[in-house]
Amino acid sequence: MKRSAFLGPLLRVGTQVTGPQFTLRNPIRSPGAGVEKMTLYARFFFSEEPIMSRKAVLSLLLAGAVAIGVTRLISASDHKDSMLLAGDPAADIADVYTFSSPTNPANTVLAMTVSGFIPPSEASTTFFDPNVLYQWKIDNNGDAVEDLVIQAFVTGTGGHQVMHFRGPAAPSDIGATDRIIDGAETATVAVSNTPTPVVASRNGMTVFAGVRDDPFFFDLVQFKHIIAGEATSFRSPGIDTFAGTNVLAIVAELPSSQLGNSKLGVWGTTSRPQL
Amino acid sequence: MTRIAKLAALAVVGALLGCQSPYAPRDIAMSVLMNKTLQQEDRFGLPAIATVFIPTTLKDAYNLGSPSGDVANFKSLIVAKLMAFGQDAASANALASALAPDIQPVDLSQPSAFLNGRKPADDVITGELHLIFGSNAALNDDHVDANDTPFLTTFPYLAGPHVQ
Repeated sequence: MKRSAFLGPLLRVGTQVTGPQFTLRNPIRSPGAGVEKMTLYARFFFSEEPIMSRKAVLSLLLAGAVAIGVTRLISASDHKDSMLLAGDPAADIADVYTFSSPTNPANTVLAMTVSGFIPPSEASTTFFDPNVLYQWKIDNNGDAVEDLVIQAFVTGTGGHQVMHFRGPAAPSDIGATDRIIDGAETATVAVSNTPTPVVASRNGMTVFAGVRDDPFFFDLVQFKHIIAGEATSFRSPGIDTFAGTNVLAIVAELPSSQLGNSKLGVWGTTSRPQL
Repeated sequence: MTRIAKLAALAVVGALLGCQSPYAPRDIAMSVLMNKTLQQEDRFGLPAIATVFIPTTLKDAYNLGSPSGDVANFKSLIVAKLMAFGQDAASANALASALAPDIQPVDLSQPSAFLNGRKPADDVITGELHLIFGSNAALNDDHVDANDTPFLTTFPYLAGPHVQ
């Protein structure tokens, strides 16, 4: 694959393109005259016009990135992204993915990867942390506050962990303080420590948790050389710095109808008990 | 101990054992997290991009924060930083409005492709490089166009691990 189809619109900078257009279908409330002061995210939910060229905004954004020093991009994507998280790989989110199910158009797939750069020699011996709550937080009305959460947490140690999933349901706490939501598990699945994925389905939710190839790909090494002034171009073909490395992945597929809106804002979080 | 208390104790033991049996439904997990107040440690919305503008000294604060606070806590900082690097107020403001809040938007009625959600196969980095370096062919593509291992066409979609 040369490039995924989505890049076509992104690459033709400055030309009129037909990419995903975000138009208002089910207005939740009228943004009124303040629309031009709204964040791009809010406009995604509320604007009656296709959101301005999200590519143009991205372009601006990345122009800024150049001005500031592209080196910050090397946190790519978010692997090992702070001092606090550097010593806590099980709580360090590498990437979050949200996409319509390729196998069932009525379903949405949510994926989160943590604990980046697991070498093959440690693939079967790197585990989730039972003291970490993994969550997808979902805003379905455009106020940037979670209306629903899907929670995942493991019980057990070593190669005998089970991942438990709760929700989607309204969280008992909003913001950076979290609690496990009441009720029973939506689904549970044995954590996979081998290449054969263990998959389970219950209550309409299909789930997976375990070690997988890191889905992120980037010639990060050459990029660093360019930033450092040690190279003037990328290699062709490039070399994927993330090739051959693994992550711990959590994947859930569920009916989109359970998410409350066709327009959503999604982010992933990890949490630990307060000291 | 009364007979009822003994029966109750037996029931509790039975429930605990049941939860650990591989043959019992694990409907209620005996997680160490139950009934505890948990503090967020990390968060992730947009890949790579949103982290660009948060200085190292505030990175932990950002990870501990919530998207709903991003505009109040970080937007002015982002705007100021952009202006310090020569952007005018309008473009700095537009840029900051795209960064905050740090959330991955998706319209499920449209095909998923970054920036409408994010699929594993989306070549996010090359898209960003093109935006940064335009037609400069030396720099606008890292020539890593796909994952090292093919994604699965069925759940869980992510490729199997590399093992020894």
